[in-house]
Amino acid sequence: METVAFSILLLPLLSALITLLFLRKSGNIAALLSVATSGGILVFALYLIFNGENEVFEWQTTWMKMSGWELSFGFLIDAPARLLLFVVSFVGFLIHVFSLGYMADDEAKARYFGGLSIFMFSMIGITLANNLIMIFVFWELVGFSSYLLIAHYLTTDEAAQASKKAFIVNRVGDFGFLIGIVLTYWAFGTVNLVELADLVDFDPSLVTTLLGLALACGFIGKSAQFPLHVWLPDAMAGPTPVSALIHAATMVAAGIYLLVRINFMFTTQSLSLLAILGASMGLYAGFCALVQRDIKKILAYSTLSQLGYMAAAFGLGMPGLALFHLMTHAFFKALMFLGSGSVIHACHHEQDIFKYGGLRKKMPITAITFLLGVLAISGVNFLSGYFSKDAILLTAYNVNMPVFVLLYAGAILTAIYMFRLYFITFEGQPRSEKASRAHENGALMTGPLILLGILSIFAGYHSFIPLAIVESLISDIESVAAMPNHLWMIVLGTFAWVVGAIIAKNFYGRVGDDDPLAKKLPTFYALCKSKLFFDQMYGFYINKIQDPIARFLEVMELLFISGLMVRGSAGIASLFALLGKICYIGKIHAYAFWFVGGTIGFLAYAVGIFGN
Amino acid sequence: METVSPQHFLVLAFLLFAVGFLGVLIRRNLLLVLMSLELMLNGVNVALVSFSRTSLNLDGSLFVFFIMTVAATEVAVGLALLVALYKKRQSVFSEDISLLKN
Repeated sequence: METVAFSILLLPLLSALITLLFLRKSGNIAALLSVATSGGILVFALYLIFNGENEVFEWQTTWMKMSGWELSFGFLIDAPARLLLFVVSFVGFLIHVFSLGYMADDEAKARYFGGLSIFMFSMIGITLANNLIMIFVFWELVGFSSYLLIAHYLTTDEAAQASKKAFIVNRVGDFGFLIGIVLTYWAFGTVNLVELADLVDFDPSLVTTLLGLALACGFIGKSAQFPLHVWLPDAMAGPTPVSALIHAATMVAAGIYLLVRINFMFTTQSLSLLAILGASMGLYAGFCALVQRDIKKILAYSTLSQLGYMAAAFGLGMPGLALFHLMTHAFFKALMFLGSGSVIHACHHEQDIFKYGGLRKKMPITAITFLLGVLAISGVNFLSGYFSKDAILLTAYNVNMPVFVLLYAGAILTAIYMFRLYFITFEGQPRSEKASRAHENGALMTGPLILLGILSIFAGYHSFIPLAIVESLISDIESVAAMPNHLWMIVLGTFAWVVGAIIAKNFYGRVGDDDPLAKKLPTFYALCKSKLFFDQMYGFYINKIQDPIARFLEVMELLFISGLMVRGSAGIASLFALLGKICYIGKIHAYAFWFVGGTIGFLAYAVGIFGN
Repeated sequence: METVSPQHFLVLAFLLFAVGFLGVLIRRNLLLVLMSLELMLNGVNVALVSFSRTSLNLDGSLFVFFIMTVAATEVAVGLALLVALYKKRQSVFSEDISLLKN
């Protein structure tokens, strides 16, 4: 078992290493190697999932040992790990295949596919890790690979800035996470997940709200939740398959997965805070998505909003539902991102949706699969998103009304902006030359779309999915099934997407080159466009508060440490040297005179002239 | 005629030493400085021999032999340095050799 786990972990690392050492110039071989690797990961992952007999498997060995403190390296394969392993390996494989088509003409293919392999390595590390420190190591590694892949088009300023922003904003969250890990070790004396769970089971009073919130900082950074959400929309500067894999399906979902893994560490207070935080994010990101023009940014904000749903589900005490939505979201969001990639590829890297139009006739497969994604995310009855999202809404309705109101408003918004995206992109007439000359992509790109489209329809029927994968969802889904108000929820849910679709059709059914909302509701439009000024606030904070403090500290450092202490002590020594230097006048006779003087002085001392 | 007493030897030794010392302090030519140094050593030698004679003890005379050997080697090294210095700087005057100034 551990051999398989090791192979699945080290396979992509090996592939990245080979790419780095030998294949930097031969992009095509590197691409094939990387895709083969991801296929291998999928095979190993399926073996791992189905050969475990649905038991919790734990294995560990000593990684390093310092006096009295031991760091172990180990795997913990339980039900949530199996689910995420399946999502990561399966979606990862499809996206690798899609990349073959999407990146066919790229100049730096080797770097791209090497980066993908590194990412798969780090992501699987997070999935399998059995202690917090190991999770943290791989946590940083996914951050690094995300940085690497966002900056793929490194000649553009946008990509360079975005990769830096993503990395630095993540560091802020990771710092809190690190403090949380240290606090955990302090309070419990271990970072092993199983031992922690046992300890908390034994004495629940050990868990504090502060501890939970510090650990949740990791989630807030990685899953781009308030207030660290600013990096995700910018991260869309990377290649589209990367956005699909890292910034929609897997890495940002790793934050939710972390929460689920340590869900025993949260008190009721920290849980309700997370629920409110997630629900507000669900609504806020919806408003932002409503006015974006860049197809990928719309999807990015939609990702933020759906991550908010997952956080809310977790905060409501339903980690299984969070994982359920994570899984369905991974399928339909990866589908839509890949669909947008297909559109972008066909339209020669045009990303403005108002420059598209009428693409349904030119790219039927992309359009239909994309529509499936839109329907799924909007929660259209009996598609995958319907099951996961309405379960969350129903829980919120029965448990926490304010959260439900936020989430429900978010659901209507989701339908509006998603249908807006679909109508503007695929319906109507082409509004640019690039769009009018677009044509459907090859099977390498449509194949993954079709597969993901099928999953977007059926992934909600959890009873048809092998138990080994969805075991972690069952108990929470059953407890939702036992809740009241089911019928009422179906009506409300249907109402949300129907209203959203109608509004979108009326508003955006026929558009010109400009957003109609900008003319009809200019104040609202401007407010949404401003994204509530978070970027400006952070910019203000950095420029006007942090930089002056840094400059002040620099001056202090120059003055006191470098000036007074370093130069000062050197100065005293050189003062003595200056005195001594006066004697060295460069005449040998003078030295002889000094010598005589010294001798006379010693003699005088010896005979006692100085009164001794 | 007055016999030569130990005091006479000591006066001679002092004079020799004083002449050598003044030479070291005053002369600019390093060759002469070196010779003056020898003069000082020999002044000390005279004093040692005279003490050895008055105290009927051979220790002082023994010392003289040591000093003469050491002086010989010292002069050999000193002269060699001086020749090398002259080759390098075309001068044996002390004021020209001021590299260590300040």
